[in-house]
Amino acid sequence: MSGFSVTEPSKRQKWFAGLLVITYAVVTLLPLLWIIATGFKSPADSISYPPKVLFEPTLEGYVNLFSTRTRITPSMRETLVEPTTWYEQIARDSGTVIAGPSRYGQRFLNSVIIGFGSTFLSIFFGTLAAYAFSRFKVPIKEDLLFFILSTRMMPPIAVAIPIFLMFRQLGLNDTQLGMILLYTAVNLSLSVWLLKGFIDEIPLEYEEAALIDGYTRFQAFYKVVLPQAATGIASTAIFCLIFAWNEYAFAVLLTSGTAQTAPPFIPTIIGIGGQDWPAVAAGATIFLIPVMIFTILLRKHLLSGITFGAVRK
Amino acid sequence: MSIKKPVEHIAKATPPSIARRVRGLSDRAIAWLFVGPSIVLLLAVNIFPLIWTINLSFTNFKANRLRDAEYIGLRNYERILTDADTWQSMQATAHFLFWTIFFQVLIGFALAYLINKKFKGNDLWTTIIVLPMMLSPAVVGNFWTFLYQPQIGLFNYVVQFFTGVEASSFSMIGSVTLAPWAIVIVDTWMWTPFVMLICLAGLRSIPDSIYEAAECDRASKWRQFWTLTVPMVLPFLMLAVLFRGIENFKMFDLVVQLTGGGPGSTTLLTSIDLKREAFEKWRTGYASAYAVILFVTVFGLASIYVKALNKVKER
Amino acid sequence: MRGFIKGLLRRRRGAWEMLATILIALGVFMLMQPFWMVAFTYSFVVTLTGTVMFIIVSHFPE
Repeated sequence: MSGFSVTEPSKRQKWFAGLLVITYAVVTLLPLLWIIATGFKSPADSISYPPKVLFEPTLEGYVNLFSTRTRITPSMRETLVEPTTWYEQIARDSGTVIAGPSRYGQRFLNSVIIGFGSTFLSIFFGTLAAYAFSRFKVPIKEDLLFFILSTRMMPPIAVAIPIFLMFRQLGLNDTQLGMILLYTAVNLSLSVWLLKGFIDEIPLEYEEAALIDGYTRFQAFYKVVLPQAATGIASTAIFCLIFAWNEYAFAVLLTSGTAQTAPPFIPTIIGIGGQDWPAVAAGATIFLIPVMIFTILLRKHLLSGITFGAVRK
Repeated sequence: MSIKKPVEHIAKATPPSIARRVRGLSDRAIAWLFVGPSIVLLLAVNIFPLIWTINLSFTNFKANRLRDAEYIGLRNYERILTDADTWQSMQATAHFLFWTIFFQVLIGFALAYLINKKFKGNDLWTTIIVLPMMLSPAVVGNFWTFLYQPQIGLFNYVVQFFTGVEASSFSMIGSVTLAPWAIVIVDTWMWTPFVMLICLAGLRSIPDSIYEAAECDRASKWRQFWTLTVPMVLPFLMLAVLFRGIENFKMFDLVVQLTGGGPGSTTLLTSIDLKREAFEKWRTGYASAYAVILFVTVFGLASIYVKALNKVKER
Repeated sequence: MRGFIKGLLRRRRGAWEMLATILIALGVFMLMQPFWMVAFTYSFVVTLTGTVMFIIVSHFPE
């Protein structure tokens, strides 16, 4: 663009805009940095007044997150053998011994299984439906698409009442299968709408050429359309995964033990005497970092993801 | 448009002899085969329960008792819609809704406007700003209770640093007057990027030539902003407002972790109120009627939303 | 305004959709306003009417 263009902001304007945006970004990032930092603080440092910015990092929060401990008196401590591992040493230094693993690992694993399971299913069904909506004449198409979208908008608590009763009848309460099916249904709206947008953009000519070459519809679909839609499918999958990963309302109402995911579990982490903030922060950090990385990977598709594919670019 | 009617398109493009060679199922059969599973799943997980809820809403069923439910007509609806406490929680929701949208639009639009000045590195900073929006509201909300602690919390400390108000003298989530604002602050922090992204798309959809024409007419920058920029971004802004409106109308996870509805019932949003009726007091019939009221409201808003979506799509 | 009423009479989709949208918005406002209890009580009927109307008229011709 030439220097004389009327639409190009001046250098001073750019500098000023940049300064304001960066200030906002730093402020908005502060709580997230604080979560990560708190995970590496000792319990005493985490609740000091005034809040400590500089501190001696320790892995105590992470050890507490993954273990259950019992408190020991100094006299008892004398009678115990020296700890053999670094995490036992950390626990011993804070006056406790490790009694066993905590439930965090299992809850995290539930999140992974339910997240990936439901993402796979909703992408599988979503791609098929999106292709049909994009390419074929489906009766009452507009109504079906609206119906699919509206299922996403419903308040989860209101939906949870009959789902709870239904799952109770079917024995699906507090099972991974139940949660996978539920999240698949909720994510279908997103995957159908997003993928329809992506498939709409693939020129029809490719399929026509394939059909003329003697491919069947199915072959044309998986040999021509699917490879073309690969990027779209990948980014849709990440959106579905993030939703299932973050979901709380259904999880807290429909799971309590074996199938509980991490979001309802993390707030219940308590240490000896009140909430153990370094352990909570450690749990949150491990839980949030994957999403942050995905967000950065997704940045080109964020906009279409949050508007169900309506706004692009 | 060729995309709308692909079947005819192909039929036209394909000579008869070749069309006969297109083997396999008919297009119509494939269409149903592809759409079918999704519709069946949604019927099972959404429509069937919805009908069940509507049915339950006319009964006095309690899910924790074995006693059979009796039909009591419209009594549940009558009770909810004349209940002062329910009205109260609707107002708490309204306060939350109004102020979150107000701040998010204000800050979100301003940020988008600034980012659109295309300063160096704006992509990187946009990505950083977007981060809070993608994170788990429950986990983040729970951590914000720590940031809001009167003495040890970072938030109170920052407030003290800038305003001089003693950090230990106020508790954002413990005070009746401050708690409704505590949830507004966190939601604004999380969701301003959402409004920003959509506004940015709106701003970027305005062609430069329009401004060049305005410049030729010697319209002032201020006038250009109000007569060109704002009207062009408005459909996008409507979309963002409606979406945030629907989302915050049913807000649950973030607020339940932050305040749990308290202190008193100052932040008892409708979803939290409904959760108490359904899963703590186990008044299933009553809660179902409550749920139906929320369903209809959200469904109504969603139809307006889709209309707004189509308007934006035309651009 | 006259065009709007004409549109309603001729079963034009745009005008009816506008009316339904107004009803829904009014219902939502009545549901959440802090001023008048009676408005709260009847909000649901208004929203329901608007929503049902919207579903029906969205099938009218353009």
